[in-house]
Amino acid sequence: MTTQLSAPKRSRAATGRARSVAPDRSGERRKARLPSWRILSGWIYVLPALAVYAYVVIVPTIQSVWYSFWDWNGVGTATWVWFGNYVDFLSNPRLALALQHTVVFVFFYALLPICLGLVSAALVSRSGTRGNGFFRTVIFLPQVLTSVVIVVMWNELFSTSGLVNSFLKTIGAGALVQPWLGSFQWALPVLGLAGTWTTMGLCMLLFISGVGNIPSELYDAARVDGAGAIREFFSVTLPGLVPQVAVALTLTIIGALRVFDLVWLTTRGGPGDSTVTPSLLLYQTAFTEGAVGGGAAIGVCLAIVSIAIALVIVAFTDRRTS
Amino acid sequence: MIGRSERVASYAVLIVFAGIVFVPVVLLVLTALSPMPNGQIVLTNLRWGNFADAWQQSNFGSHLLLSLVLAGTVTLVTVVIAPLAAYAIAVLKIPGHRALFTLFLVGIMIPLEGIIVPLYFTMRATPFASTIGSLIVAQVGLSVGFGVFWMRAAFQAIPSSLLESASLDGAGRFRLYRSIVLPLAKPATITLALLTCMWVWNDYFLAFVLVNNPDQLPVTVTLGDFTNKYATQVNLMSACAVLVALPIVILYLFFQRQFIAGVLSGALKG
Repeated sequence: MTTQLSAPKRSRAATGRARSVAPDRSGERRKARLPSWRILSGWIYVLPALAVYAYVVIVPTIQSVWYSFWDWNGVGTATWVWFGNYVDFLSNPRLALALQHTVVFVFFYALLPICLGLVSAALVSRSGTRGNGFFRTVIFLPQVLTSVVIVVMWNELFSTSGLVNSFLKTIGAGALVQPWLGSFQWALPVLGLAGTWTTMGLCMLLFISGVGNIPSELYDAARVDGAGAIREFFSVTLPGLVPQVAVALTLTIIGALRVFDLVWLTTRGGPGDSTVTPSLLLYQTAFTEGAVGGGAAIGVCLAIVSIAIALVIVAFTDRRTS
Repeated sequence: MIGRSERVASYAVLIVFAGIVFVPVVLLVLTALSPMPNGQIVLTNLRWGNFADAWQQSNFGSHLLLSLVLAGTVTLVTVVIAPLAAYAIAVLKIPGHRALFTLFLVGIMIPLEGIIVPLYFTMRATPFASTIGSLIVAQVGLSVGFGVFWMRAAFQAIPSSLLESASLDGAGRFRLYRSIVLPLAKPATITLALLTCMWVWNDYFLAFVLVNNPDQLPVTVTLGDFTNKYATQVNLMSACAVLVALPIVILYLFFQRQFIAGVLSGALKG
């Protein structure tokens, strides 16, 4: 069996041709070859998808690693620099800033929406209001809007003559009026709020549907034991939502790490470097400064960190649930 | 045990959340209808003509159509080739199907940043460099990983007894696929089409990097340019933003169950 499987693998096309030009082999031999041809021809179904996937994802992934060891400006000759690009990136003072901003974004993109989502899921689960169609539709809406549209909205909310400033004036807090996105202090949290606005609905619906899967006997038992709302939340709802929280954490933390459009289209990382992010550094290094190898190295680092985050959260959840 | 107050509180929370989502959306739509370039909202004077003006602004309409072609083509190709591959992996179980599936899974985990630099140089060397064609190829390649993953799950849910009896009745592999497997997985295919369409339409970063020709930009990048160029014409810019959001929002309103379930279960399985 193994020989029959591996022999045609070496020359798939040749086997096919051989079979069609030499049909008058002994019946016994043909029977023996037929299954392996049949099995291998199944690859035809995979080929279109695999080819374009390899071209766009697999090969560039390997190239990224390869590029990252070279000093290359995109046109001239390249020099092999070993881990030089990584050393440059990791010792870049702007990276430290970008990472600090990422931490702030993790709060706004991940922690805040998840806490809000948990609270609302707990309330909704207790009262039995499953969050009917209308609320679901509205709360999920930001997930289908593209970042550029959100940028336009945020400009209108937070520009000098925007809604937030008008509101502050009306309530007599005119002293607070300012160009929010031009402020060293406020630009970052204001952009973070856009993240909260986008991911909030996803977290909420994820948790509300997760609560629906928690066996109602657990709630009955907790109530028989006289657990209050808070006890019930920590001993039934939260443990039951571990898989959903893990998914929400993975998605939103990686989202926070990768912020680009929102920052690029509002502040370009400014004022100063006060909103610079790792993805912005990648873009500027590779495509504005023309340090291709340096850009590739940042990309490799981002990919490694993203995958590591996903794996750590999965491992942690598996330990918790088993 | 469940007090009336808790029911009220939960509705209050839902209303507050819905309100938070609504404020920027309503603000955007009303600004898009403003008669003033500074975007001041005049409820008694809603200027619907802004949408017509926005369509003509710097060929915005042609970029919308370009995005339509892009999203439509990528969705169509993905919905044809991803289920085929998933069929070979999940039903035919071709040799190496496990390794193949892992390969497709790895691609879902690698963020775009990890491949964007070489992808730019690969695409630049092709004849369709810097055009919508390079975006179509790149987007198909990026969509296929999730597509295979998603369709495999759907195909695995088909009872194998059904497939066996069809094979015994003499159905060939392609016939089995076309007449049994694909029709049974129709809901999953529709969800895949909707999600792919949304992701491709909404993409900014990939198009921003790969396409330099200003005539070939999809509408998200064009709108991004407007936010710098036409900062003084807030009403027209908002109208443009509404036009960009509208196609997907309409799809969403019609197929909201598929959108929500797709994103949630796609997230869970990923």
